[in-house]
Amino acid sequence: MSALSFELKGKPDQRLDLSPLVPERLKDLKAKDIEALTIGSTRVPLTVGDAFKLKGNDPSEIRFVGTDGRCDKIGAGLKDGTILVEGDVGAYLGAGMKRGKIEVKGNAGVLAGASMAGGSIAVSGDADERAGGILVGETMGMKGGLLAIGGNAGPMVGERMRRGLVIVEGDAGDYAGGRMIAGTILLKRKVGRGAGYGLRRGSMILVEEPKDLLPTFGDCGVMEFDYLRLLEHWLHEAGKNIKLGGRARRLMGDMSVLGKGEMLILA
Amino acid sequence: MADLKLKGVTIVETFAEAFPMVGTRIIITAPSQEWAMIAARTMTGFATSVIACGAEAGIERILSPDETLDGRPGVAVLLFTMDADKLQRQLRNRVGQCVLTSPGSACFAGLEGEKKLKLGASLRFFGDGWQMSKLVGGRRFWRIPVMDGELLCEATTGLTKKAVGGGNLLVLGKTHAAVLAASQRAVKAIDEVEGVITPFPGGIVRSGSKVGSKYKGQIASTNDAYCPTLKAAVKTALPLDVEAVMEIVIDGLTKESIAKAMHAGIHAIAEGGADQGITHITAGNYGGNLGPHHFHLKEIVA
Repeated sequence: MSALSFELKGKPDQRLDLSPLVPERLKDLKAKDIEALTIGSTRVPLTVGDAFKLKGNDPSEIRFVGTDGRCDKIGAGLKDGTILVEGDVGAYLGAGMKRGKIEVKGNAGVLAGASMAGGSIAVSGDADERAGGILVGETMGMKGGLLAIGGNAGPMVGERMRRGLVIVEGDAGDYAGGRMIAGTILLKRKVGRGAGYGLRRGSMILVEEPKDLLPTFGDCGVMEFDYLRLLEHWLHEAGKNIKLGGRARRLMGDMSVLGKGEMLILA
Repeated sequence: MADLKLKGVTIVETFAEAFPMVGTRIIITAPSQEWAMIAARTMTGFATSVIACGAEAGIERILSPDETLDGRPGVAVLLFTMDADKLQRQLRNRVGQCVLTSPGSACFAGLEGEKKLKLGASLRFFGDGWQMSKLVGGRRFWRIPVMDGELLCEATTGLTKKAVGGGNLLVLGKTHAAVLAASQRAVKAIDEVEGVITPFPGGIVRSGSKVGSKYKGQIASTNDAYCPTLKAAVKTALPLDVEAVMEIVIDGLTKESIAKAMHAGIHAIAEGGADQGITHITAGNYGGNLGPHHFHLKEIVA
């Protein structure tokens, strides 16, 4: 058995909805049936066979090759298995996924990992706005799991998230952690304006102090956090060597809402 | 009776009778090994016997920083009682009064277990609404604000119903000093065994008890058969030249760990041979009708 792979034949002339291409949906289908699945998003019909060249036969391990920013909803609603993408992806990467693992070697469009409930997503490049954020019609953003962004994140990363961990290795845009209910966001470089806007509970761990702190965050000063040591240890076990140390400056907020959230700025 | 001899020390052909218990393990960490040990010792204080302490507890072993979840020095603690409700109450009270209060401490689960006991899940109320819950790697932790920062405490720890209490060895010898030295050697050897503790002072009991008493309401009383001062008056178990007897009581998470500990203990006691004043190694039982676990010394020593 080798990974079931989908190689994009050429630049598609419409956006693709690739949400049917998840292990759960493909496990009992023959190659011919898979090729007949419709993935178009306009009135012009488009099937998997039209857009992709198929290879391999193990649907628990799916590969996309040569994809671009018009390939939407890859791994959306994923319940198990792994998806590896060699190329960029469009909107809704792994949106609402519950379990499983998605790895993208490229950039992701808007709403990557939006309202995901579990599993893990790793994007090697940048992620556009609202990564780990909230899907239309949902009451909450990310609800669990791990979203790791190797590059920069757009505005409103982790918007309205409830649980889980978002890691941004690069810079984050404006309103990072906006309206967060709970959960953890680890931001390794610069953040834009309005970080933690409307933060109720949850932790934003920042390596660099934001240039523009909201006045509705209150300073508690620098102190020891065993929690950071625990998190560092767990990240290390998960193969991510991120030095957090045990000391941080704690800012509580957003006091304009519940105010039980925190920014931990590493000291 | 052809008793077995080990380096001249008689291994009496008898068995230790032990009882089922429920047990748990927690890991305490702190900024230094010294402070982890202080918290652990405090938590396991006054926990020699369930007869009047409510629990039997002890320090299992020291953990290096790379063995703990937060990368700080730690100590593994075992706690045993006769049923799960009592264990839950003892755990809450002991961690709440002794670990929560100890500077810089944190507290983690040390056992998967068949069932869960609340740890941080009950201590969190100390936070008065300021506590924070964090899920890290699928495990829930509570961060409770305290005067030196935060107590980090895992929400639950595991409980095992397969624990065994009351594994024991009796050391008989010609001088008090010899018996004490041999017993200390045994405790040291047992310390190396995983999953066991010796809950009594320094691991040693000098006042072994029998069930019942001539006095109403006294549930246990001195084990007169092993009291050297009463040899002439009671049905004694001691030869005339035995001056002192000490007992090592062992609680463990499994019956296999008790057997291993008793094995290590017997060999450590007999290490110096009969020349050092140890005459017999025996074990305590109640005729075999009370406890389901019987550890026969003859089998253990092999």
